[in-house]
Amino acid sequence: MSQSPPSAPSNLKVISFIIALSFICALVLSILASVLREPQEIARELDRSEQMMMAARILSPTGFFQVKEEDKYVPAKLEKGHQLVAIKAPEYPDRRELFDVYRSRLIPMLVTKDGDLATFKEAGIDEQEYVNENKKRGYYTLPYMLVYKILPNPTSEDKTPIGYVIPINGYGLWDAIYGYLAIAPDGDTVIGISWYDQKETPGLGAVITEPQWQSQFPGKLVFEESPDGTTDFQTAPLGLTVIKGKVSEVMGSKPKAKSSIDGIPGATLTGNGVTSAYQDVLAPYRPFLMKLQKAYEEAQ
Amino acid sequence: MTQKGNLHYLTDQIWSSNQVLVAVLGICSALAITNRLSVALTMSLSVTFVTSCSCFFVSLLRHRTPPSVRMITQLAIISVFVIIIDQFLQAYFFAIWKVMTVFVGLIITNCIVMGRCEGMAKNVAPWPAFLDGMGAGLGYGLVLMIVGAIREFFGFGQLFGIQVVPVSWYASAVHPNAYENFGLMVSPPAAFFIIGMLIWISNATVTKEA
Repeated sequence: MSQSPPSAPSNLKVISFIIALSFICALVLSILASVLREPQEIARELDRSEQMMMAARILSPTGFFQVKEEDKYVPAKLEKGHQLVAIKAPEYPDRRELFDVYRSRLIPMLVTKDGDLATFKEAGIDEQEYVNENKKRGYYTLPYMLVYKILPNPTSEDKTPIGYVIPINGYGLWDAIYGYLAIAPDGDTVIGISWYDQKETPGLGAVITEPQWQSQFPGKLVFEESPDGTTDFQTAPLGLTVIKGKVSEVMGSKPKAKSSIDGIPGATLTGNGVTSAYQDVLAPYRPFLMKLQKAYEEAQ
Repeated sequence: MTQKGNLHYLTDQIWSSNQVLVAVLGICSALAITNRLSVALTMSLSVTFVTSCSCFFVSLLRHRTPPSVRMITQLAIISVFVIIIDQFLQAYFFAIWKVMTVFVGLIITNCIVMGRCEGMAKNVAPWPAFLDGMGAGLGYGLVLMIVGAIREFFGFGQLFGIQVVPVSWYASAVHPNAYENFGLMVSPPAAFFIIGMLIWISNATVTKEA
Protein backbone atom coordinates (compact mmCIF):
# COMPACT_ATOMS: atom_id res chain seq x y z
CA MET A 1 0.00 0.00 0.00
CA SER A 2 1.30 3.35 -0.92
CA GLN A 3 -0.66 5.67 1.33
CA SER A 4 0.65 5.77 4.87
CA PRO A 5 -1.77 5.25 7.75
CA PRO A 6 -3.15 8.51 9.17
CA SER A 7 -1.53 8.06 12.54
CA ALA A 8 0.04 5.19 14.44
CA PRO A 9 -2.42 3.51 16.80
CA SER A 10 -1.84 4.01 20.51
CA ASN A 11 -0.01 1.39 22.55
CA LEU A 12 -3.19 0.55 24.40
CA LYS A 13 -4.90 -0.24 21.11
CA VAL A 14 -2.02 -2.44 19.97
CA ILE A 15 -1.88 -4.34 23.22
CA SER A 16 -5.63 -4.90 23.38
CA PHE A 17 -5.59 -6.08 19.75
CA ILE A 18 -2.91 -8.65 20.52
CA ILE A 19 -4.67 -9.80 23.68
CA ALA A 20 -7.95 -10.22 21.83
CA LEU A 21 -6.21 -12.09 19.00
CA SER A 22 -4.41 -14.43 21.38
CA PHE A 23 -7.62 -15.06 23.27
CA ILE A 24 -9.52 -15.97 20.11
CA CYS A 25 -6.71 -18.23 18.86
CA ALA A 26 -6.48 -19.96 22.24
CA LEU A 27 -10.23 -20.45 22.32
CA VAL A 28 -10.31 -21.96 18.83
CA LEU A 29 -7.47 -24.33 19.62
CA SER A 30 -8.84 -25.48 22.96
CA ILE A 31 -12.24 -26.22 21.43
CA LEU A 32 -10.48 -28.16 18.68
CA ALA A 33 -8.36 -30.07 21.17
CA SER A 34 -11.35 -31.15 23.23
CA VAL A 35 -13.35 -32.15 20.15
CA LEU A 36 -10.50 -34.21 18.71
CA ARG A 37 -9.32 -35.78 21.94
CA GLU A 38 -11.42 -38.90 21.62
CA PRO A 39 -10.60 -39.77 18.00
CA GLN A 40 -6.94 -39.08 18.76
CA GLU A 41 -6.94 -41.45 21.69
CA ILE A 42 -8.64 -44.15 19.65
CA ALA A 43 -6.12 -43.64 16.84
CA ARG A 44 -3.26 -43.90 19.32
CA GLU A 45 -4.65 -47.05 20.88
CA LEU A 46 -5.28 -48.59 17.48
CA ASP A 47 -1.69 -47.86 16.50
CA ARG A 48 -0.38 -49.44 19.71
CA SER A 49 -2.52 -52.52 19.16
CA GLU A 50 -1.36 -52.80 15.56
CA GLN A 51 2.27 -52.50 16.56
CA MET A 52 1.82 -55.19 19.21
CA MET A 53 0.18 -57.52 16.69
CA MET A 54 3.01 -56.81 14.26
CA ALA A 55 5.55 -57.80 16.91
CA ALA A 56 3.53 -60.99 17.51
CA ARG A 57 3.31 -61.42 13.71
CA ILE A 58 -0.47 -61.65 13.73
CA LEU A 59 -0.39 -58.58 11.51
CA SER A 60 1.99 -58.08 8.60
CA PRO A 61 4.22 -54.96 8.51
CA THR A 62 1.93 -53.47 5.85
CA GLY A 63 -1.18 -54.05 7.92
CA PHE A 64 -3.04 -57.21 6.90
CA PHE A 65 -3.70 -60.23 9.11
CA GLN A 66 -1.53 -63.26 8.63
CA VAL A 67 -1.43 -66.85 9.82
CA LYS A 68 1.41 -69.30 9.93
CA GLU A 69 1.16 -72.19 7.51
CA GLU A 70 4.05 -74.64 7.28
CA ASP A 71 6.52 -72.14 8.77
CA LYS A 72 5.49 -69.40 6.37
CA TYR A 73 3.22 -66.46 7.04
CA VAL A 74 0.35 -66.11 4.61
CA PRO A 75 -2.37 -63.41 4.40
CA ALA A 76 -5.55 -64.11 6.30
CA LYS A 77 -8.88 -62.52 7.03
CA LEU A 78 -11.13 -62.44 10.03
CA GLU A 79 -14.01 -64.91 10.11
CA LYS A 80 -16.68 -65.51 12.74
CA GLY A 81 -15.52 -66.42 16.23
CA HIS A 82 -12.27 -64.39 16.12
CA GLN A 83 -10.79 -66.89 13.68
CA LEU A 84 -8.25 -65.96 11.05
CA VAL A 85 -8.55 -67.92 7.83
CA ALA A 86 -5.85 -67.92 5.16
CA ILE A 87 -6.69 -66.17 1.89
CA LYS A 88 -4.80 -65.65 -1.37
CA ALA A 89 -4.52 -61.88 -1.79
CA PRO A 90 -4.07 -59.66 1.26
CA GLU A 91 -7.15 -57.78 2.46
CA TYR A 92 -6.81 -54.81 4.75
CA PRO A 93 -8.89 -55.08 7.90
CA ASP A 94 -10.88 -52.18 9.32
CA ARG A 95 -10.60 -50.72 12.80
CA ARG A 96 -13.28 -52.96 14.33
CA GLU A 97 -11.64 -56.15 13.06
CA LEU A 98 -8.24 -55.02 14.30
CA PHE A 99 -9.56 -54.35 17.80
CA ASP A 100 -11.49 -57.63 17.73
CA VAL A 101 -8.41 -59.72 16.98
CA TYR A 102 -6.26 -57.68 19.36
CA ARG A 103 -8.67 -58.23 22.28
CA SER A 104 -9.19 -61.91 21.61
CA ARG A 105 -5.57 -62.87 20.94
CA LEU A 106 -3.45 -60.67 23.22
CA ILE A 107 -4.24 -61.04 26.89
CA PRO A 108 -2.48 -58.74 29.39
CA MET A 109 -1.02 -60.60 32.36
CA LEU A 110 1.31 -59.79 35.24
CA VAL A 111 4.66 -61.37 36.06
CA THR A 112 6.07 -61.40 39.57
CA LYS A 113 9.76 -60.96 40.35
CA ASP A 114 9.94 -64.75 40.81
CA GLY A 115 8.72 -65.26 37.26
CA ASP A 116 5.21 -66.44 38.01
CA LEU A 117 2.24 -65.37 35.91
CA ALA A 118 -0.76 -63.78 37.58
CA THR A 119 -3.96 -62.24 36.27
CA PHE A 120 -4.87 -58.66 37.18
CA LYS A 121 -7.69 -60.03 39.32
CA GLU A 122 -5.36 -62.24 41.35
CA ALA A 123 -2.99 -59.35 41.97
CA GLY A 124 -5.85 -56.99 42.81
CA ILE A 125 -4.69 -54.38 40.29
CA ASP A 126 -6.91 -52.33 38.00
CA GLU A 127 -5.77 -53.14 34.47
CA GLN A 128 -6.68 -49.86 32.75
CA GLU A 129 -5.09 -47.73 35.43
CA TYR A 130 -1.97 -49.87 35.68
CA VAL A 131 -1.38 -49.90 31.92
CA ASN A 132 -1.95 -46.16 31.48
CA GLU A 133 -0.06 -44.89 34.51
CA ASN A 134 3.13 -46.91 34.22
CA LYS A 135 3.82 -46.55 30.52
CA LYS A 136 6.38 -43.78 30.97
CA ARG A 137 8.08 -45.30 34.00
CA GLY A 138 8.35 -48.72 32.40
CA TYR A 139 6.48 -51.80 33.59
CA TYR A 140 9.76 -53.62 34.14
CA THR A 141 10.55 -51.45 37.18
CA LEU A 142 7.42 -52.57 39.04
CA PRO A 143 6.97 -55.53 41.40
CA TYR A 144 4.28 -56.78 39.02
CA MET A 145 5.53 -56.53 35.44
CA LEU A 146 3.35 -56.47 32.35
CA VAL A 147 3.37 -59.20 29.74
CA TYR A 148 0.89 -60.02 26.99
CA LYS A 149 0.03 -63.65 26.39
CA ILE A 150 -0.38 -64.43 22.66
CA LEU A 151 -3.19 -66.93 22.21
CA PRO A 152 -3.19 -69.22 19.17
CA ASN A 153 -5.62 -68.71 16.32
CA PRO A 154 -8.84 -70.17 17.79
CA THR A 155 -9.24 -72.87 15.15
CA SER A 156 -8.90 -75.62 17.76
CA GLU A 157 -9.59 -76.01 21.47
CA ASP A 158 -5.92 -75.73 22.31
CA LYS A 159 -5.33 -72.55 24.29
CA THR A 160 -1.62 -72.87 25.02
CA PRO A 161 0.01 -69.48 24.41
CA ILE A 162 2.12 -69.31 21.25
CA GLY A 163 4.28 -66.59 22.72
CA TYR A 164 4.55 -63.57 25.00
CA VAL A 165 4.87 -59.86 24.24
CA ILE A 166 7.02 -57.77 26.56
CA PRO A 167 6.65 -53.96 26.46
CA ILE A 168 10.04 -52.29 25.96
CA ASN A 169 11.01 -48.85 27.25
CA GLY A 170 14.25 -47.12 26.54
CA TYR A 171 16.00 -43.96 25.49
CA GLY A 172 17.07 -43.28 21.93
CA LEU A 173 19.16 -40.32 20.90
CA TRP A 174 16.48 -37.64 21.34
CA ASP A 175 13.77 -38.99 23.53
CA ALA A 176 12.18 -42.06 25.08
CA ILE A 177 11.40 -44.95 22.73
CA TYR A 178 8.58 -47.44 23.30
CA GLY A 179 8.14 -50.77 21.65
CA TYR A 180 7.27 -54.44 21.93
CA LEU A 181 9.25 -57.65 21.87
CA ALA A 182 7.46 -60.91 21.17
CA ILE A 183 9.15 -64.08 22.44
CA ALA A 184 8.28 -67.67 21.59
CA PRO A 185 7.09 -70.09 24.35
CA ASP A 186 10.67 -71.37 24.71
CA GLY A 187 11.50 -68.07 26.40
CA ASP A 188 14.46 -67.56 24.10
CA THR A 189 13.56 -67.17 20.41
CA VAL A 190 12.32 -63.80 19.19
CA ILE A 191 9.05 -63.83 17.21
CA GLY A 192 9.21 -60.18 16.22
CA ILE A 193 9.61 -56.63 17.45
CA SER A 194 8.14 -53.21 16.84
CA TRP A 195 8.49 -49.62 18.06
CA TYR A 196 5.31 -47.61 18.39
CA ASP A 197 6.56 -44.32 19.78
CA GLN A 198 9.90 -42.68 19.04
CA LYS A 199 11.29 -39.33 18.03
CA GLU A 200 14.55 -40.43 16.40
CA THR A 201 16.02 -38.64 13.38
CA PRO A 202 13.96 -39.41 10.27
CA GLY A 203 16.06 -41.42 7.81
CA LEU A 204 18.67 -42.36 10.40
CA GLY A 205 17.54 -43.43 13.88
CA ALA A 206 13.94 -43.71 12.74
CA VAL A 207 15.00 -46.69 10.62
CA ILE A 208 14.23 -48.76 13.76
CA THR A 209 10.54 -48.45 12.83
CA GLU A 210 11.08 -49.81 9.31
CA PRO A 211 9.93 -53.36 8.58
CA GLN A 212 13.10 -54.11 6.66
CA TRP A 213 15.30 -53.47 9.67
CA GLN A 214 12.86 -55.15 12.04
CA SER A 215 12.79 -58.28 9.89
CA GLN A 216 16.24 -59.21 11.23
CA PHE A 217 14.83 -59.93 14.67
CA PRO A 218 12.68 -63.05 14.16
CA GLY A 219 14.69 -66.12 15.11
CA LYS A 220 17.29 -64.27 17.19
CA LEU A 221 17.95 -65.53 20.72
CA VAL A 222 17.65 -63.28 23.75
CA PHE A 223 19.94 -65.55 25.82
CA GLU A 224 23.47 -65.55 24.45
CA GLU A 225 24.69 -69.04 23.57
CA SER A 226 27.92 -70.41 25.05
CA PRO A 227 30.67 -71.34 22.57
CA ASP A 228 29.79 -75.04 22.95
CA GLY A 229 26.29 -74.45 21.58
CA THR A 230 24.41 -74.78 24.85
CA THR A 231 22.85 -71.95 26.80
CA ASP A 232 23.25 -71.40 30.51
CA PHE A 233 20.01 -69.58 31.24
CA GLN A 234 21.09 -68.71 34.79
CA THR A 235 24.13 -66.67 33.80
CA ALA A 236 24.06 -66.05 30.04
CA PRO A 237 23.93 -62.36 29.02
CA LEU A 238 20.30 -61.48 28.32
CA GLY A 239 19.34 -59.08 25.54
CA LEU A 240 19.72 -58.23 21.89
CA THR A 241 22.70 -56.18 20.78
CA VAL A 242 22.65 -53.69 17.93
CA ILE A 243 26.26 -53.71 16.76
CA LYS A 244 28.25 -51.40 14.52
CA GLY A 245 28.27 -52.75 11.01
CA LYS A 246 26.80 -55.99 9.72
CA VAL A 247 26.49 -59.03 11.96
CA SER A 248 27.65 -61.44 9.26
CA GLU A 249 30.82 -59.42 8.68
CA VAL A 250 31.69 -58.52 12.28
CA MET A 251 30.67 -61.69 14.12
CA GLY A 252 30.78 -64.38 11.47
CA SER A 253 29.42 -67.54 13.03
CA LYS A 254 30.25 -66.69 16.65
CA PRO A 255 27.45 -67.63 19.06
CA LYS A 256 26.89 -63.95 19.79
CA ALA A 257 25.80 -63.43 16.18
CA LYS A 258 22.53 -65.15 17.10
CA SER A 259 21.79 -62.35 19.58
CA SER A 260 23.08 -59.45 17.46
CA ILE A 261 21.45 -57.11 14.99
CA ASP A 262 22.96 -55.10 12.11
CA GLY A 263 23.64 -51.51 13.09
CA ILE A 264 22.16 -48.55 11.26
CA PRO A 265 24.83 -46.38 9.60
CA GLY A 266 24.68 -42.89 11.08
CA ALA A 267 22.54 -43.93 14.01
CA THR A 268 24.98 -45.51 16.44
CA LEU A 269 23.46 -43.76 19.45
CA THR A 270 19.95 -44.93 18.60
CA GLY A 271 21.37 -48.44 18.23
CA ASN A 272 23.02 -48.21 21.64
CA GLY A 273 19.72 -46.98 23.09
CA VAL A 274 17.91 -49.97 21.59
CA THR A 275 20.55 -52.36 22.95
CA SER A 276 20.34 -51.00 26.48
CA ALA A 277 16.55 -50.89 26.32
CA TYR A 278 16.47 -54.67 25.69
CA GLN A 279 19.11 -55.28 28.36
CA ASP A 280 17.40 -53.21 31.05
CA VAL A 281 13.89 -54.40 30.36
CA LEU A 282 14.67 -58.10 29.95
CA ALA A 283 16.83 -58.40 33.09
CA PRO A 284 13.92 -58.50 35.58
CA TYR A 285 12.05 -60.90 33.27
CA ARG A 286 14.88 -63.48 33.49
CA PRO A 287 13.15 -65.71 36.10
CA PHE A 288 10.00 -65.67 33.97
CA LEU A 289 11.87 -66.56 30.78
CA MET A 290 13.76 -69.32 32.63
CA LYS A 291 10.50 -70.82 33.85
CA LEU A 292 9.13 -70.73 30.30
CA GLN A 293 12.27 -72.45 29.06
CA LYS A 294 12.02 -75.14 31.74
CA ALA A 295 8.36 -75.84 31.00
CA TYR A 296 9.10 -75.92 27.28
CA GLU A 297 11.91 -78.42 27.71
CA GLU A 298 9.78 -80.67 29.88
CA ALA A 299 7.02 -80.64 27.28
CA GLN A 300 9.42 -81.68 24.53
CA MET B 1 -18.16 -10.83 -3.04
CA THR B 2 -16.96 -12.63 -6.14
CA GLN B 3 -16.16 -10.33 -9.01
CA LYS B 4 -15.22 -11.23 -12.51
CA GLY B 5 -11.49 -11.33 -12.94
CA ASN B 6 -10.66 -12.55 -9.44
CA LEU B 7 -9.81 -15.96 -10.71
CA HIS B 8 -6.47 -14.85 -12.08
CA TYR B 9 -5.29 -14.58 -8.46
CA LEU B 10 -5.54 -18.35 -8.34
CA THR B 11 -4.37 -19.31 -11.81
CA ASP B 12 -1.32 -17.01 -11.90
CA GLN B 13 0.13 -18.71 -8.88
CA ILE B 14 -0.02 -22.18 -10.33
CA TRP B 15 2.54 -21.78 -13.08
CA SER B 16 3.46 -18.30 -14.32
CA SER B 17 4.29 -16.93 -10.87
CA ASN B 18 4.71 -20.22 -9.07
CA GLN B 19 6.15 -19.60 -5.64
CA VAL B 20 8.66 -22.40 -5.75
CA LEU B 21 9.82 -21.97 -9.34
CA VAL B 22 9.72 -18.20 -9.71
CA ALA B 23 10.14 -16.86 -6.19
CA VAL B 24 12.18 -19.90 -5.07
CA LEU B 25 10.36 -20.09 -1.74
CA GLY B 26 9.49 -23.20 0.24
CA ILE B 27 12.52 -25.11 -1.02
CA CYS B 28 13.37 -26.73 2.33
CA SER B 29 10.20 -28.75 2.57
CA ALA B 30 10.26 -29.49 -1.14
CA LEU B 31 13.57 -31.25 -0.57
CA ALA B 32 12.60 -33.00 2.62
CA ILE B 33 9.25 -34.59 1.93
CA THR B 34 9.16 -35.45 -1.75
CA ASN B 35 10.57 -38.97 -1.80
CA ARG B 36 7.07 -40.44 -1.55
CA LEU B 37 3.97 -39.22 -3.37
CA SER B 38 1.62 -39.94 -0.48
CA VAL B 39 3.66 -37.71 1.83
CA ALA B 40 4.00 -35.00 -0.83
CA LEU B 41 0.24 -35.03 -1.40
CA THR B 42 -0.53 -34.68 2.31
CA MET B 43 1.96 -31.84 2.57
CA SER B 44 0.52 -30.09 -0.50
CA LEU B 45 -3.01 -30.25 0.86
CA SER B 46 -1.89 -29.08 4.30
CA VAL B 47 0.01 -26.11 2.89
CA THR B 48 -2.88 -25.20 0.59
CA PHE B 49 -5.26 -25.24 3.53
CA VAL B 50 -2.92 -23.17 5.70
CA THR B 51 -2.07 -20.54 3.07
CA SER B 52 -5.63 -20.04 1.85
CA CYS B 53 -7.20 -19.84 5.31
CA SER B 54 -4.52 -17.67 6.84
CA CYS B 55 -4.49 -15.31 3.84
CA PHE B 56 -8.26 -15.00 4.20
CA PHE B 57 -8.08 -14.07 7.87
CA VAL B 58 -5.05 -11.81 7.48
CA SER B 59 -6.99 -9.95 4.81
CA LEU B 60 -10.11 -9.83 6.96
CA LEU B 61 -8.15 -8.18 9.76
CA ARG B 62 -6.08 -5.97 7.47
CA HIS B 63 -7.76 -2.70 8.50
CA ARG B 64 -7.75 -3.49 12.17
CA THR B 65 -4.19 -4.83 12.47
CA PRO B 66 -1.81 -2.21 13.88
CA PRO B 67 1.18 -1.99 11.49
CA SER B 68 3.68 -2.44 14.31
CA VAL B 69 2.39 -5.93 15.16
CA ARG B 70 1.27 -7.15 11.74
CA MET B 71 3.96 -9.85 11.46
CA ILE B 72 3.17 -11.37 14.81
CA THR B 73 -0.53 -11.26 13.94
CA GLN B 74 0.12 -13.14 10.72
CA LEU B 75 2.26 -15.63 12.58
CA ALA B 76 -0.47 -16.23 15.18
CA ILE B 77 -3.06 -16.83 12.47
CA ILE B 78 -0.76 -19.15 10.54
CA SER B 79 0.11 -21.16 13.65
CA VAL B 80 -3.56 -21.68 14.50
CA PHE B 81 -4.16 -23.30 11.12
CA VAL B 82 -0.99 -25.36 11.30
CA ILE B 83 -2.05 -26.73 14.68
CA ILE B 84 -5.53 -27.46 13.31
CA ILE B 85 -3.98 -29.52 10.49
CA ASP B 86 -1.61 -31.31 12.85
CA GLN B 87 -4.37 -32.22 15.31
CA PHE B 88 -6.67 -33.31 12.50
CA LEU B 89 -4.05 -35.60 10.97
CA GLN B 90 -3.31 -37.03 14.41
CA ALA B 91 -6.96 -37.92 14.90
CA TYR B 92 -7.82 -39.32 11.48
CA PHE B 93 -4.59 -40.19 9.63
CA PHE B 94 -2.39 -41.46 12.44
CA ALA B 95 0.02 -43.43 10.27
CA ILE B 96 0.72 -40.41 8.07
CA TRP B 97 0.85 -38.13 11.10
CA LYS B 98 3.62 -40.22 12.66
CA VAL B 99 5.80 -39.58 9.61
CA MET B 100 4.72 -36.01 8.96
CA THR B 101 4.31 -34.34 12.33
CA VAL B 102 7.77 -32.75 12.25
CA PHE B 103 7.22 -31.31 8.79
CA VAL B 104 3.63 -30.21 9.40
CA GLY B 105 4.81 -28.24 12.43
CA LEU B 106 7.37 -26.57 10.19
CA ILE B 107 4.72 -25.25 7.77
CA ILE B 108 4.77 -22.23 10.11
CA THR B 109 8.23 -21.44 8.81
CA ASN B 110 7.37 -22.12 5.17
CA CYS B 111 8.23 -18.85 3.44
CA ILE B 112 5.34 -19.20 1.00
CA VAL B 113 2.71 -18.81 3.70
CA MET B 114 4.13 -15.67 5.22
CA GLY B 115 5.20 -14.42 1.80
CA ARG B 116 1.62 -14.48 0.54
CA CYS B 117 0.22 -12.99 3.75
CA GLU B 118 2.72 -10.15 3.71
CA GLY B 119 2.96 -9.72 -0.04
CA MET B 120 -0.67 -10.02 -1.05
CA ALA B 121 -3.25 -10.73 1.62
CA LYS B 122 -2.68 -7.60 3.68
CA ASN B 123 -3.35 -5.43 0.61
CA VAL B 124 -6.43 -6.99 -0.96
CA ALA B 125 -9.97 -8.02 -0.02
CA PRO B 126 -10.52 -11.41 1.68
CA TRP B 127 -11.86 -13.29 -1.34
CA PRO B 128 -8.96 -12.51 -3.72
CA ALA B 129 -6.59 -13.12 -0.82
CA PHE B 130 -8.14 -16.54 -0.27
CA LEU B 131 -7.82 -17.40 -3.96
CA ASP B 132 -4.27 -16.13 -4.04
CA GLY B 133 -3.33 -18.23 -1.01
CA MET B 134 -5.02 -21.27 -2.48
CA GLY B 135 -3.21 -20.77 -5.78
CA ALA B 136 0.11 -20.46 -4.01
CA GLY B 137 -0.58 -23.69 -2.12
CA LEU B 138 -1.67 -25.51 -5.25
CA GLY B 139 1.34 -24.26 -7.20
CA TYR B 140 3.60 -25.48 -4.42
CA GLY B 141 1.67 -28.75 -4.43
CA LEU B 142 2.12 -29.12 -8.19
CA VAL B 143 5.89 -28.83 -7.89
CA LEU B 144 5.90 -31.23 -4.94
CA MET B 145 3.87 -33.81 -6.85
CA ILE B 146 6.08 -33.60 -9.95
CA VAL B 147 9.23 -33.94 -7.87
CA GLY B 148 7.64 -36.64 -5.74
CA ALA B 149 6.50 -38.65 -8.76
CA ILE B 150 9.95 -38.54 -10.36
CA ARG B 151 11.72 -39.42 -7.12
CA GLU B 152 9.38 -42.23 -6.14
CA PHE B 153 9.37 -43.71 -9.64
CA PHE B 154 13.14 -43.81 -10.03
CA GLY B 155 14.01 -44.26 -6.36
CA PHE B 156 11.58 -47.03 -5.42
CA GLY B 157 10.05 -48.09 -8.75
CA GLN B 158 6.67 -47.21 -7.27
CA LEU B 159 3.94 -44.57 -7.42
CA PHE B 160 1.79 -43.99 -4.31
CA GLY B 161 3.43 -47.09 -2.85
CA ILE B 162 2.23 -49.31 -5.72
CA GLN B 163 4.91 -51.13 -7.67
CA VAL B 164 5.08 -49.69 -11.20
CA VAL B 165 8.37 -51.06 -12.46
CA PRO B 166 7.77 -54.81 -12.86
CA VAL B 167 9.53 -56.80 -10.17
CA SER B 168 10.83 -59.19 -12.83
CA TRP B 169 12.96 -56.39 -14.34
CA TYR B 170 15.04 -56.06 -11.22
CA ALA B 171 18.58 -57.31 -10.85
CA SER B 172 18.77 -60.56 -8.96
CA ALA B 173 21.38 -63.21 -8.30
CA VAL B 174 20.51 -64.72 -11.68
CA HIS B 175 20.58 -61.47 -13.68
CA PRO B 176 23.04 -59.20 -11.91
CA ASN B 177 23.04 -56.65 -14.75
CA ALA B 178 19.30 -55.96 -14.81
CA TYR B 179 17.44 -52.89 -13.57
CA GLU B 180 18.23 -51.32 -10.22
CA ASN B 181 16.61 -48.47 -8.31
CA PHE B 182 18.40 -45.14 -8.61
CA GLY B 183 19.66 -44.65 -5.06
CA LEU B 184 20.31 -40.93 -5.38
CA MET B 185 16.62 -40.26 -5.97
CA VAL B 186 15.75 -41.35 -2.45
CA SER B 187 18.03 -38.76 -0.86
CA PRO B 188 17.21 -35.02 -0.71
CA PRO B 189 19.90 -33.83 -3.17
CA ALA B 190 17.90 -35.42 -5.99
CA ALA B 191 15.15 -32.91 -5.34
CA PHE B 192 17.69 -30.13 -5.87
CA PHE B 193 18.42 -31.30 -9.40
CA ILE B 194 14.78 -31.86 -10.26
CA ILE B 195 13.66 -28.49 -8.90
CA GLY B 196 16.58 -26.85 -10.71
CA MET B 197 15.39 -28.34 -13.98
CA LEU B 198 11.80 -27.31 -13.29
CA ILE B 199 12.98 -23.74 -12.70
CA TRP B 200 14.82 -23.93 -16.01
CA ILE B 201 11.69 -25.13 -17.79
CA SER B 202 9.58 -22.45 -16.17
CA ASN B 203 12.09 -19.74 -17.08
CA ALA B 204 12.14 -20.93 -20.65
CA THR B 205 8.36 -21.06 -21.05
CA VAL B 206 7.08 -18.11 -19.05
CA THR B 207 7.64 -14.89 -20.95
CA LYS B 208 9.08 -12.24 -18.70
CA GLU B 209 7.46 -8.83 -18.46
CA ALA B 210 9.97 -6.20 -19.28
